[in-house]
Amino acid sequence: MDKQEFYQRLAEILDVEEVKPENVLKDFDGWDSLAILSLLAMADAKYGVSVKAEEIRAVVTAEDLARLIEAKRK
Amino acid sequence: MNFTFHRKRIAGVLVVVPENERSFSEDMKNFNFPEARSLKLKEVMGYDKRRVVEPGVCVSDLAVFGLEHLLGEGLLKRDEIDALLLVTQTPDHFMPATSSLIQGRLGLKQDMLCLDINLACAGFVIGLMQAFMLLEQESVNKVVLINADVLSRKASPKDRNIYPLIGDGAAITIIERDDEDSVIHASVKTDGSRAGALIIPAGGLRLPSSPETAHLEEVGDNNLRAKDHVFMDGSAIFNFVQTEVPPLIENLLARAGVTSEEVDYFLCHQPNRFMLEKLADKMKVPYARMPNNVVEHFGNNGSVTIPTVMAYNLRERLQREQLQVCLAAYGGGLAWSAMLLKLGKLAFNNIIEYK
Amino acid sequence: MKCTFKHKRISSIIAVAPSQEYRFDDEYANFKMTEAQARRFKKMMSLDRHRIAPPDVCASDLCLFGVHRLLEAGVLKKEEISAIVFISQTPDYILPPTSNVIHGKLGLGHDVICLDINQGCAGFLVGLQQAFMLLEIPAVTKVLLLTGDTGSKQMTRENRINYPINGDAGAATVIERCSEEKTIYMDIKNDGSRYKALMIPGGGYRMPSSVETLKLREVEEGVVKCLEHVDMDGAAIFNFTMDDIPPQIEEVLSFSGETRDSIQYFFLHQPNPFIVTQMTQKMKIPQEKVPNNVVSLYGNCSSTTIPLNIALNAAELMLAGTRRVCLSGFGVGLTWVSAVMDLGPLDFCKLVDYEPTGSHA
Repeated sequence: MDKQEFYQRLAEILDVEEVKPENVLKDFDGWDSLAILSLLAMADAKYGVSVKAEEIRAVVTAEDLARLIEAKRK
Repeated sequence: MNFTFHRKRIAGVLVVVPENERSFSEDMKNFNFPEARSLKLKEVMGYDKRRVVEPGVCVSDLAVFGLEHLLGEGLLKRDEIDALLLVTQTPDHFMPATSSLIQGRLGLKQDMLCLDINLACAGFVIGLMQAFMLLEQESVNKVVLINADVLSRKASPKDRNIYPLIGDGAAITIIERDDEDSVIHASVKTDGSRAGALIIPAGGLRLPSSPETAHLEEVGDNNLRAKDHVFMDGSAIFNFVQTEVPPLIENLLARAGVTSEEVDYFLCHQPNRFMLEKLADKMKVPYARMPNNVVEHFGNNGSVTIPTVMAYNLRERLQREQLQVCLAAYGGGLAWSAMLLKLGKLAFNNIIEYK
Repeated sequence: MKCTFKHKRISSIIAVAPSQEYRFDDEYANFKMTEAQARRFKKMMSLDRHRIAPPDVCASDLCLFGVHRLLEAGVLKKEEISAIVFISQTPDYILPPTSNVIHGKLGLGHDVICLDINQGCAGFLVGLQQAFMLLEIPAVTKVLLLTGDTGSKQMTRENRINYPINGDAGAATVIERCSEEKTIYMDIKNDGSRYKALMIPGGGYRMPSSVETLKLREVEEGVVKCLEHVDMDGAAIFNFTMDDIPPQIEEVLSFSGETRDSIQYFFLHQPNPFIVTQMTQKMKIPQEKVPNNVVSLYGNCSSTTIPLNIALNAAELMLAGTRRVCLSGFGVGLTWVSAVMDLGPLDFCKLVDYEPTGSHA
């Protein structure tokens, strides 16, 4: 999985210039229920994985999210 | 409106009543009436004991309890349940349907229908009809019909027209196809223009619940009631039953080519002893063939009274033999219905207590 | 649970929306959204406007208005109404059933069966199943299927999750027998273990109405609600829509011997346009077959979404001829029901605005 591409897509969802792996998701203004929906859709459309609401709520950083999706792809 | 069903049967009946019992002598203490007058009421209406749920107990609790009992006894298997019909006027929530909650709590299969139907006292007969209709589908082999209400929680303790009358309970009826070429006749009628005769004014969207609707009001005849409480126009209901039910049953029997004498039992909804005695008199049916003892032991538990009268009075007989019975269910709506069928041998026909 | 029905048709559809229209642009200040957030939300959810019923109008009023229009148009006569099936999660009363109240207001004869069924998003399909079953009875001539909800009364205006997407509406659909076989294929599924995805905690018997349940709280930024208001887990609904609905639609297509190509329209429930687009793109269903504008123009009106969708987008077509369609309703319960059937030619198909009664009783 191209991590750079993933962080770029995440930045678009969060409406920010850049997202770094260590960034805490909750710290972004744009991290709301809308962002979560966009993320679920993106995971499905771009990575072909189904991420559950509970799984998203459990992650803390952007890197956690990347790892979650990567793991599901295997 | 007339209905005819073929090759369908009731396989078993289980009634669940709360363990908690109240007596009329306790209830009486709340009323603004002299004791002598209250005791007269007791005698005429047949009030004595009734079963009511503890605070916080809901329809899904009674239903799950009963279904777990059947599953535990091997009288029903989880995966056999193709449809769960819940007839209730006292749901757990406005959303989702309570039948969905029951399905979830019991871990039933996804490939099934869950349906909440809001019906009052006519609910047992109409519920049976729903089940018969569903069984026309190839994929449906077994339907679980649950009639359940916890209406005592909406009766004003200071309203002697309703408080001593209401009982709570649930009935679980298993319905399936019949190998025998059986015929079931039924009839249903509605008159919504008299809907106000049995109503809870507040709590729906027409008049949402609020501190005002919880406020007890003087409603005449020394009774106190809130808009959140159930109101019943006793004389309107009495007149309704006397006028509409006998011709409905008469026409039903005529259509089926069966005389009143050939009916082993008339299993009727039990509003109170007085009303049912008058109905029996009008129909010229001896009291022995129209059992009339549910209210004094359990209270009027809405659409559960007919299964209760079955399980209480004919527990053994319906398990041993087949009887020709005429069911009659009538009340809120106003709706009235009747059904003529052969009942038995039932695999089970019991009353258990919810703890 | 699979069902088939033969010799049944929908003959008329009327959808009724309150005339009061509100625009997202005028409302987003209530949601404590910045202009940027509002823009983002509006774009993603394709929001524009929705219809909200005034305080004294209930779902049954909307449905009854529709019934009167059908009677006036001559496509329905009072004596033909054998059954009233009222599907709602916002009934007039808990007791008696609202279908009985409607029966009384219409002044119908006694030979009618009335049923209130508690269903939400899957309600139109559940109601159709009920109607098809009732029509097996010779004495039943026509079934009046009424779907209606005033969901706006189960939320505050200061609720950015539910309010902007909600629409109030009612519909009256007439179903009757027909001489052609016209087989209808349906599949029904339920999963009550996931009920928390869409529910109302208080107001029923589990948590009766009290001063406590009516207390308004800001549970999160821009969401003010009480315990008698709708609770929705948007992400869980998204998962459900993406995971469970496509297999059911595939199942019903296969069951009916149809394909994406042979189906001319997919009239789907619309939780919001975003989810519908995601789901149908994933299923590779051509977007032109999936009208997806109900939420943008009227809001998500629960079980009325599908009949409103048909009346809004395909009225002319439905009056003119027959189309092979796939209907799918899914949501609260969780319940999901999909069907393949012929639709049209209809005797009547319209979307109208509600007018408070004056000459209309």
